[in-house]
Parts: sequence; structure tokens; C-alpha cells
Amino acid sequence: MDESTLVRHAANGDAAAWEPLVLAHQDAVFRLSYLLLGDPDDAEDIAQETFLRAWNHLKRFDSTRPLRPWLLSIASNLASNRRRSAGRYFAALTRAFRNEPTSSTSTEEKSAQHMEANDLWKAVRHLSIPDQQIIYLRYFLDLPVAEAAQALQVAEGTVKSRLSRALERLRGIIQQDFPVLAEGHEGREV
Amino acid sequence: MNELQQELFEKQLLSISKGLDYPRTPDIAESVMVRLSSSSKSEGRPRFISRRLAWSLTVILILFSSLMLIPPARAAIIEFIQIGIVRIFRAEPTPLTPPHQEFPSTMVPVTATPGATSQPLIPILENLAGEMTLEEAQQTVNYPILLPSHPPDLGQPDRVFVQEADGDMTILVWMDPQQPDDVLMSLHLVPEGSWAIEKVSPTIIQETTVNGQRAIWAVGPYPIRFSNGNLDFVRLVDGRVLIWVEGDMTYRLETDLSLEEAINVAESLAPIR
Repeated sequence: MDESTLVRHAANGDAAAWEPLVLAHQDAVFRLSYLLLGDPDDAEDIAQETFLRAWNHLKRFDSTRPLRPWLLSIASNLASNRRRSAGRYFAALTRAFRNEPTSSTSTEEKSAQHMEANDLWKAVRHLSIPDQQIIYLRYFLDLPVAEAAQALQVAEGTVKSRLSRALERLRGIIQQDFPVLAEGHEGREV
Repeated sequence: MNELQQELFEKQLLSISKGLDYPRTPDIAESVMVRLSSSSKSEGRPRFISRRLAWSLTVILILFSSLMLIPPARAAIIEFIQIGIVRIFRAEPTPLTPPHQEFPSTMVPVTATPGATSQPLIPILENLAGEMTLEEAQQTVNYPILLPSHPPDLGQPDRVFVQEADGDMTILVWMDPQQPDDVLMSLHLVPEGSWAIEKVSPTIIQETTVNGQRAIWAVGPYPIRFSNGNLDFVRLVDGRVLIWVEGDMTYRLETDLSLEEAINVAESLAPIR
């Protein structure tokens, strides 16, 4: 059964049709929540809430459209609200997190690739939330521009212009605060 | 950064970000299915009343009690119409506050109904908390903000507010291009469970439909009360209001348009493009 058929069944109250859709998209939803919040437990809460809210509003969803951007839009809003409501406490955690990202392995054990990716993530976290959202969707989750536009509920042209500005700011941050990352890039031929 | 540099930078981001070490994704599907299953099983059983619902019930009870003290209202108060989170009491007009009450600075008026007072609405809008851009509003709330495409020349709202208080109510306001101090139309998007709205005895209450769903058309003046757990205020509104429900959302369209035109506006709502 294809996605739109499953969505239609689920919208009619068929929970069994919802399960494969959750399975198909839980990685992307969890990862976006994790990127925005930096905490796996919070990310799990947000991911669960995302699928429950989507289930409750499925009748409003156009089943001919891809589900993933809509789910990511809900997750992004929920995660942003979670950050706001947590207030200063979260801000303190974020600062701490920037200095010491969550990790299950020691720095020495990490591959150079993981360290580079973590540095990039730390750099992105210096950006505003809207800039973070668009960079996570487009590059970390590798969404095409069209899907990122749907997730952010803006036009594709707006995504491109916002990306361009966000990249400019990110590059500035990398050059100023992450010189090792910048050097790594300059040495590449990609 | 020129186009070529941006393209290279984008390729690098795509490549590097693939190396990020995410925690293993928990079994979200199982948890979600368990919660769906338990919520469906609990339907029909007695449930604990949520804090939000308790607040709404309290507000309604207080309103009901105060109206019952007024003899003319007592006989008629039993009758009311419920649509979404709005409850309209068919009682004699019972002013809950003087028509031109000044709001204390700590209170926030939350309505922008055309012709609500004889004073210009701009000062009220200036006091309305939570102003932001439409884009920011959509990022703030957890539901899609719908915009009308009728009338065709309406365009995007001139002012956008999100009232955050245990549930985000969005207020979209269109100003009259001919009378910049006047509100042409406003649309409230209210999620279920966050706010309670009570109206008392509008002069006209008419049942109608929006997209085939039941809707109410009410014409003032009549007292209106917006309330939730954190904010509670009363204001006299003199306007035409179309109220309807879709899913968990209640919509209030305040306008000087006719009922037929208001329905056209309501039925033209679509997500932001």
C-alpha cells in the first residue's frame, strides 16, 4: 500500500495504517527534534507528540501530498516551543551543550568524520532557530528544496533566499569560531 | 559568497553532516501505537478532568452564577448554543463590564472586532500582546495558519498576533486601506482546549454552514468574554461574527461583510503558500 493510501486509511481512524507511516518517518522526525533540542529524551518526547498530533489532524491533511514535510513541520514547531518554554534553563543547557555535545563515546574514539560533523553541528547551533531549521532540513536531513519549502510552509524561492543568507552567516561563524573546520574545507576539492 | 562558492559550501555541508553520530532512534512507533490504543480504550470511561478543561468549566460556572443573580437573565440563561470552544448564552443582555472600560496595563484585550467601540482600534491593537510576522507565527503555533483567498484583493494580514497562554491563539488582522485606523476584518484561530469564549445574548444568532459544517452567525452588540488559565477579560463587542469548527480548531471571523460574503471568506481558507 502506498503512502497516500495509508494516510487515507489512517485519516478514517485505521490505526494499523498509521503504524507503517510512523515507522517510515520516525528517523527523520526524531533526528530533526534531536538536532533542534540536543537531548535524546526531549527528542523522543517531541517525536511521539508529533505523530500523535498528526494523527489527530489527519483529516485536514491532503493525502496527495508527501507526509514527511508536514511531520517535520509539526516536529519543528513543537521543538521550538519546547525550547522557548524551557527558557533560561534551556539556554544554560544549550551553552553547556555547545561546549560539550552529548556523546556516548570519548573524543579520542570518534572518527575524524564524526568530529567534523559535530563541529559543524556546534557551528549551526550558533545560528538563529529559523536558520537552524532550514539548514537541518536541507543538509542534515537532505530534504530537496521543494520538501523543505513544504515543511517550512513557505515558497521554494523563499527557501533558497533564506538558505543563502543562513549559509552566509554559517560560513562567517565557521571562519571565526571553527578555524579547524574551515581549514578542512579549504583543503578539499569538492 | 558567489554562486559557485555557495554550491561548493552546500556540497561540503551535505557531506560533513552525514557523519553526525545521532543517538539510535527509539521505537517511536510502538510508543505512539500504545498511546493511541490506550486513549481509544479510555473513551467512554470516566476520565480525570484536565487543567485546561477545569479552567474553562470554572469560567463558565462563574459567568453562569453571576448571571443567575440577575432576575431577567435567570429564566433565559439555561439556553445556550455551543460551537467549538464558544458558548453563546441566550440571555437578556447582561453587561459584564462598561462598554468603554479601560484595560489595566497588565491585561491584554484580545479582540479586534470592527466597530467594537467608538474609539479607534489602533490603540487597542498597539496594546495587543504577541505581535509577530506571519512567518514567525506559523513557526510558533502547532497548527497550520489558514489565510482567506477571498476577496481576491485581500492579501496577507496587516497585523499578526499569537497569544501564548497554555495554547496559542492566532489573531490575523486586515486593516481598511481606505481608513487606515479601521480594522477591515479579523480572524481568530483558536486550538481546542486553550481558550474559552462566552457570549451573552447577541441580537441575532443564525445557524448556517461553512464547508458543509455547522456554523453560527452572531450579530452584536453583546458582551464577550475570552478566558483561559492565565488571562481573563471582558469586553463589549459590536460586530458580526461567523464562528465555525474544523477538526480541533475553532475559527472566528469578525467582519462588516454580509453573512454570504463572510461564508465565502471562511470557505476560501487555505494554508499559507
